[in-house]
Amino acid sequence: MIPLEFVLIVSSALFAIGAAGVILKKNAIQVLMAIELMLNAANINLVAFSTYFGDAKGQGFALISIGIAAAEVTIGLAILLNLNKLRKTVDVDDINLLRW
Amino acid sequence: MDYSAIYPELILALFAIAVPAVNILVKDSRFLAGFSLAGVGLSMLAVVMHFVEGTGRVVFDTGLLVLDDFSGLFMLVFLTVAFLVILASIRYIEDERHKAEYYSLILLATVGMMLVAASTDLFVLYIGIEITSLSSYALVAFRKKDIKGAEAATKYFIFGGISSAFTLFGISLVYGLTGTTSFQEVGVLVGTLDGYREMLWLALVMVMVGFGFKVAMVPFHSWAPDVYEGAPTTITAMLAAGSKKMGFVAMFKFFLIGMLAIKADWDVVVAILSIVTMTLGNLAALNQTSIKRMLAYSSIAQAGYILMALPVGTEYAVTGGIFHILTHAFMKGGAFIAVATLATVAIGDRISDYKGLAKRSNFMAFSITILLFSLAGIPPLAGFASKVVLFSSPIMGTVAGSEWMVWLAVAGIINSAISLYYYARVVKYMYVDELDEGAPSERLKLPKGMAAAVAICVLAVIGIGVFPEYFIQLCQNAAQALFA
Repeated sequence: MIPLEFVLIVSSALFAIGAAGVILKKNAIQVLMAIELMLNAANINLVAFSTYFGDAKGQGFALISIGIAAAEVTIGLAILLNLNKLRKTVDVDDINLLRW
Repeated sequence: MDYSAIYPELILALFAIAVPAVNILVKDSRFLAGFSLAGVGLSMLAVVMHFVEGTGRVVFDTGLLVLDDFSGLFMLVFLTVAFLVILASIRYIEDERHKAEYYSLILLATVGMMLVAASTDLFVLYIGIEITSLSSYALVAFRKKDIKGAEAATKYFIFGGISSAFTLFGISLVYGLTGTTSFQEVGVLVGTLDGYREMLWLALVMVMVGFGFKVAMVPFHSWAPDVYEGAPTTITAMLAAGSKKMGFVAMFKFFLIGMLAIKADWDVVVAILSIVTMTLGNLAALNQTSIKRMLAYSSIAQAGYILMALPVGTEYAVTGGIFHILTHAFMKGGAFIAVATLATVAIGDRISDYKGLAKRSNFMAFSITILLFSLAGIPPLAGFASKVVLFSSPIMGTVAGSEWMVWLAVAGIINSAISLYYYARVVKYMYVDELDEGAPSERLKLPKGMAAAVAICVLAVIGIGVFPEYFIQLCQNAAQALFA
């Protein structure tokens, strides 16, 4: 069996990559993908701990959370599609109508 | 299995699913609104029955969801907000398409908030937060042709997504550290994790970031003014009065049940964040020109006041926090609904548009004055009563070694004084300033449903302010149920 530490290193790295993507990427779709990476890092954690404890709860919840993430992407893409229709851009630097 | 514990959520969820189906049969949008209101009313009745019968703590199934004084009180707050928002929306979204989906999503968002209030488990809490978030992303983007709305929805969605990723990662770490997700069991085990302090702190920070986004705590507040300004104003009322309060419920549960054993590790940080949040919110509100943005920053400031309850952490402080959440729901919800009401009669959301409002509608000018003065904390209004309880808690709760908490009260009082400036400025515009040359000056014909929603908020604010004892008792029971 793969030691728990290895899995945690992978999931932490994935979370860090996702967080970096959210901050650095200019395209809103890429930001969306980076957020998905962060959520999947958490799912890896849940499954790893669940196997470690021999407790099915974490794996069950990981499945639910994948479902939630899918719903989130659906709504997110719909919002970005609408933005693209109105503004002809999904660049996060261009959405600056609302500011003080 | 005892379903009576989840009757309120169940009823509302069924109505939320039924609304689009009913729309196929009946095309009348007023009927749809009435149908949604009936759902909210029935759900409210189920909660009130719980209080009347005095059944105490009812547990559903294996104890993932409970109905007790704490969750019951918050369900009532969320349902009242949903009721007011739907009442105000009848006219506000009259010219829009997809009304059935709009009402359905409001009900679903409320179900999510109620699930958060009822949850005893981190996983259920997360699902509740997500139900509310997903519904409100769609609601913010409701006006498809509105550029500002589309932009607000994009920002809300990106920040919300980051927030939920942090929350989920934090929850997974807590699960990994303790092997359980029930708040009670986490609370017992957390004190025994001396070898894993660093990882526990990481989990704590992650969850704090996640919830911090939800309640618009500084430094995670930057989305709030943009989203509150760009969203349809009735939805802004729901976000400020409902879904933000959901974040506080989640925080109360996580920090005061789950992490109470290591309170010494986080109380100073949260106290500093509380002071920074209220100060920054109030200072930024001072020179806003849009009333929606001003109210958004004032909402951030109020979040700072409520955060005060966490580091103090006594039952009295939580009573104050819950009481302020209750009054804030009416004050801020009412204020945003009032802005929405004026928008339907062609008065814009710039503060200068409110010049001479008293001459055009006494009722609106008076209502806004009451709501804003209550937000500032002027007696005998509700905001004063709740601030008294909240601000006195750091002083009353001081034990040896935590004398520094008195500064929380000091900061709160100074901030209330600062905030009076920008609230009074709006009142001055409405009562003292004359109408601009050539501006329309006929009296306003207000839509009845919206005026009724504003009137309910004003009456509640005055009522709670004049007779606070009963409400403080309710909040105290809720705080006791939280710590039980």
